[in-house]
Amino acid sequence: MNQAFGSEEVYRRYLDGLLSNNRQQCRECFEQWLAADAELGTLYENLVQRSLYEVGDLWERGRISVATEHLATAINESLLNLTYPRLFAQARIGKTAVIASTANEYHQLGAKMVADIFELHGWRGYFLGANTPLRDLLDLIREKGPDAVALSLTVYFNRDSLLQTAAAIRSEFPAVPILVGGQAFRWGGRDRVEALPEVRCLASLSDLEAWLKVERNHV
Amino acid sequence: MFDTPGIAEAMQSYVLETAPVLALRLDANHCVAAANAQACQMLRGGAVGRPFAEQIVDFTHSFELSALINLGSTAVHRLTLSTASGMPETLCFRFFPLPDGTLALGSIDLQEQQQLRDEVLGLNRELNDLSRLLHQANAELRELNQVNNRFIGMAAHDLRKPVGVVMTYSEFVLDEAGDRLDDEQRGFLHTSLAAAVGMKRLIDNFLDVSVIESGQLRVERSRTDMGQIVEGVLPLVRLLAARKKIELLTEVGDDDRPLLVDAAKVQQVLGNLLGNAIEHSKPGQRVWLAARRDDAELVFRVRDEGPGIAPEDQTRLFAPFARAGTRKTAGERSVGLGLAIARLVVEAHNGRLWVESVPGQGSTFFVSLPIAPGGDHP
Repeated sequence: MNQAFGSEEVYRRYLDGLLSNNRQQCRECFEQWLAADAELGTLYENLVQRSLYEVGDLWERGRISVATEHLATAINESLLNLTYPRLFAQARIGKTAVIASTANEYHQLGAKMVADIFELHGWRGYFLGANTPLRDLLDLIREKGPDAVALSLTVYFNRDSLLQTAAAIRSEFPAVPILVGGQAFRWGGRDRVEALPEVRCLASLSDLEAWLKVERNHV
Repeated sequence: MFDTPGIAEAMQSYVLETAPVLALRLDANHCVAAANAQACQMLRGGAVGRPFAEQIVDFTHSFELSALINLGSTAVHRLTLSTASGMPETLCFRFFPLPDGTLALGSIDLQEQQQLRDEVLGLNRELNDLSRLLHQANAELRELNQVNNRFIGMAAHDLRKPVGVVMTYSEFVLDEAGDRLDDEQRGFLHTSLAAAVGMKRLIDNFLDVSVIESGQLRVERSRTDMGQIVEGVLPLVRLLAARKKIELLTEVGDDDRPLLVDAAKVQQVLGNLLGNAIEHSKPGQRVWLAARRDDAELVFRVRDEGPGIAPEDQTRLFAPFARAGTRKTAGERSVGLGLAIARLVVEAHNGRLWVESVPGQGSTFFVSLPIAPGGDHP
């Protein structure tokens, strides 16, 4: 079997490790991918994000328990630590972003990955964890004066909270670009969010990377 | 509701074969007479034939099954069992009286398990968030350190020239017009010159630190030998020793096999060590510079008869801006960078720098530079 990094085989072994609570197997696949000096963005999208979406699907279809889904998320999140020595060593471009999950949104891994992608592109990505109260989010935006704010939504039913958050940010900070995205938008729902001025919905991490590349040219 | 024919059988079958519930039938002596599938899996062999009390983890030896049974079937008892996996497991038990014994039913507290799982996942998230913050803060500190080094480097570089001008003109006036000045005026000029020399040394130290910290220290090796290195360093410190009436002695072997080292940097290190030794000595005391080499290493030794260094000071001696508790004997000034620079220069040669000292009995500093097997360079 071909065990080269990025191969379907490695991904399947990684997913198998997640579903069987085999942290060590996941770590081996993750390190294999990292050791191949692959683009971190590719690793985030093709290994971590893909596996998270697939685990989420399996849970929604009743194939795995919520406990397994939670543990798979925890394994993915802890393995991201392995990328940080490389991630934070990127040359800075003098831009900052504030990234958060909104109030009532208890999934934070998506937002953290978005913050990491910002770091990967030379931004300083300030990440607020799950279920961020709006007041805390606005305080951090006031403190950091970011060049962009990104909001992550995993559970579609929390979209009203996201809309309220985006509207509050837009009201106090009319110019700052707001990016939204996450698993919740895989099946639509972008229209209401993008109706707000200067709010963009990005479908995937690669869309975010494309946006960041365009922004870089505006430096 | 549940009295429809077939329900009791279905429930019995479920409890005996599938349910995550322990069902144990105990005989009149409280020994396990029968066990369901879950009990067989959790307790080795379902503990059939053995006293129920043997399965209980009872650190205080106070477990009394009869007392629990007497409390009736509605009472719930939290009991910890020793399981087949070797891990203790806490279950909530109820005991139902039977004509010839007792039925024990136990289950895991699911609410507690859920709470525990949420807490563990929450702690894991917090730990990961903190780890991310730590990595981010480290990266920011590294950047700040680089900016700081660049600033120190630029400032030191720009200060060198005016200080050099002060030194040159002070010396020039002393040489050309010294005989036309009175003693007090000459004293002023000498003081200015000494201050400028001290400032230049300080600036040079800052520049060295800036270069080393930025990772730009380059070791430029050239062919030399042990004697040449020692001969090159002595002129740097002879005047200082003579002024303080310190006797400077050398003990250098006659090994003139060639060495490939950065002689200027090694001399800088030895000059620093000798300067320190002289500055911490009293007039009439002696300072030694010894050198020896073998096939594996080149070792320099700088020894003095000064006040020595307390053990607690020895450990922090080589950190930047660290100064030992001992005072220099003529009030010489220092910012505590010399030894830090010396250590970094020695480490750039893959060598070691250390001190051996007993308070009141002087100090000996060692510089060891490894020589590659069969080679001529550290």
